[in-house]
Amino acid sequence: MKLWNQFSKSLALVAVIGAMGMTSIASAHEADCPYCKLKLVQNTKELDNEVVVKVGNKRIEYRCLYCVIKDQKRYKGDLVVYSPSEKVGAPVILKRTGGKWSAPEGAVFLNTFKKHKDCAALSRAFTNKAAFDSYIKKNPSEGAKALTLDQFLAEVAKN
Amino acid sequence: MRNTLLLFVALTSVTMAVAQDHGGHQPTRSGTLPTMPSDLPRWISSPGADHLFYKAAPYNWAIERIPPFAQDMYGTGVGHAMAYEALVTGRKAQLETKVFETIDRVLQKPPRIPVDEAALSPTFVRKYGYLEKVFDWAHILHFQTIDVLTHPGWSDAQKEAEIERLWSFYSAQPYAITGLPMNMEYLDSFPFSGRFRSNYPKVNGLFWGYHWLQTVNYDMLFRVPVQDQAAQYSVLGSQYRTTELYRMRDFMPMTAEMSPRFSKRFPMIANAFDNLHMLHDNVNDILAAEELTEKQRQEQVKIAIYRVLSSTHKGHEPGSGEDVPGSLHDHRHPTSTPGMGFMKGMEDDVMYMSGMGWMDMSVCAHCSIPLPDGPMWGATVTADGWTMLVRCLMCARDMAAETPGRAIIRAATEDPSRILVLISDEEGILTSNIPGVVFLEEFGEHPECSAWSRAFTSKSAFDQFVRENPDLAQSKPLSLDAWAQINRGTPDTYRKIDRPNPYRPEPTTGGSR
Repeated sequence: MKLWNQFSKSLALVAVIGAMGMTSIASAHEADCPYCKLKLVQNTKELDNEVVVKVGNKRIEYRCLYCVIKDQKRYKGDLVVYSPSEKVGAPVILKRTGGKWSAPEGAVFLNTFKKHKDCAALSRAFTNKAAFDSYIKKNPSEGAKALTLDQFLAEVAKN
Repeated sequence: MRNTLLLFVALTSVTMAVAQDHGGHQPTRSGTLPTMPSDLPRWISSPGADHLFYKAAPYNWAIERIPPFAQDMYGTGVGHAMAYEALVTGRKAQLETKVFETIDRVLQKPPRIPVDEAALSPTFVRKYGYLEKVFDWAHILHFQTIDVLTHPGWSDAQKEAEIERLWSFYSAQPYAITGLPMNMEYLDSFPFSGRFRSNYPKVNGLFWGYHWLQTVNYDMLFRVPVQDQAAQYSVLGSQYRTTELYRMRDFMPMTAEMSPRFSKRFPMIANAFDNLHMLHDNVNDILAAEELTEKQRQEQVKIAIYRVLSSTHKGHEPGSGEDVPGSLHDHRHPTSTPGMGFMKGMEDDVMYMSGMGWMDMSVCAHCSIPLPDGPMWGATVTADGWTMLVRCLMCARDMAAETPGRAIIRAATEDPSRILVLISDEEGILTSNIPGVVFLEEFGEHPECSAWSRAFTSKSAFDQFVRENPDLAQSKPLSLDAWAQINRGTPDTYRKIDRPNPYRPEPTTGGSR
């Protein structure tokens, strides 16, 4: 009976929430990127944006791949990074094992943002060069160059 | 003659608002100064020292059982004293540089014993001694409530009874601040409001940083066995020194935000602390307001004290004030949170919290299902500077796992006298205060999660619970390690409230790399 009352209360709450003009189901809590402190960019039907770092028992979301690499020193253990790619639901999976980074063969990276408000769109991973070219055609970015993982890491380290 | 006429016109053009505003207006930043009330207590104009001291008790100075915490708390006495002295001795220009550096240095290397604030701010105390009486008396309440909670050898019931007595002891004096919830938007709506935080954001950040410490500690201590308190301070103390002192907040930390469980049990104390901290903010703003004369400053400080005094609100009740919203006697509070006055933009239980965005305090912060009633109060998660109530351990674990940094989970077990305290490191590896803790997690519908996600102090307690609940007959006990590795992500019942920040409507675009 008590559980049913709670359930009824929940249904009522959902109705109230709807009436108050709140958003529908969200995939993550109100959160800022741990590195750049800007709001996380949610996935859309056309494009994934959430970069997820799995470390130990934590699963932390970042705004872009650059932010992950910049913030990596806070973690001592091995990392698995689910980086959104050109394909929804198919992230490029990067790993830092024993301090050494690896990426799937053929993966390339974009890193051309000037301000962090653009980082989610312009610091990304792609499964291959053709996907990178196609993305840049739709989202032109000055100086865009397909980087290997090592080049990407070096580029991030420079900034 | 001409000058006299001009002065007369100038004075009459300044429409004075009355401190005891019963007009029922919604608070906005007023352009008029509040005027002196007719019933200002006489002691405010008395030069007498009237120094009050601790209630004699065996628990006094028990805070010393957690030395880093005690020292950080002693350090909090320094900040306002140094800033006030700078403000009244013509050193405003140094506040964000030299004064900030000095206060910061003291907070980072706090004193080992309590500091006599009057020794640090002699000029200020000569001018505003009446204010120090109010501050000192409330600070003693702060320290003694902490002393009770850190005192070994007493049961939770004994401690809570003593805190009730402390509240009576405190409230009996004329300098006591009201325990009624007050409308924070109203208290921050005067012509000088916000001046200090706008002009001196770094120093204000330190102030609000240690107000965070002064409010977050209560849930660290409340109903937590004394042997399990200090370990939590390694997380909170580090958060305080590295992050909270330098965080740019939208509004001061509220006690019920930082210690929701303590605030539910002692709403009058939570309200008194919030009203005290708002009095600090009012005084900061008055002293920072260049356009005020010394006489006006003295008056406005007295009026600010009057607004929050217990004597001013005699006869009023918590929850009253619907007929006078946004005024002195607006004592409404969120339905679920009697220990908090109304905040800017608040709609009943829905409020904007710095670091969390819009939250509904009546529901689980992780799954958005209403919080359960009764003694099995679910859990709290403290991480990244906030503390949130959640329905069950699963919600607590998964919420901590998706939050960067160290975290503290406090949760009920089958034994009301044994609270589970889990401390997570940076990578989510948990340590427990109960060595043989066993978990139940028989995943089902979220509206029922508090029934199937629980912690037990032993395997035998788990077995007994399963025996009493045949639906769970197939459940297997989970060890801490096994349970900690589960992650069920964000529940599909979770609803984010998407509204603009009422304090800072313009979105930030972020800096460069």
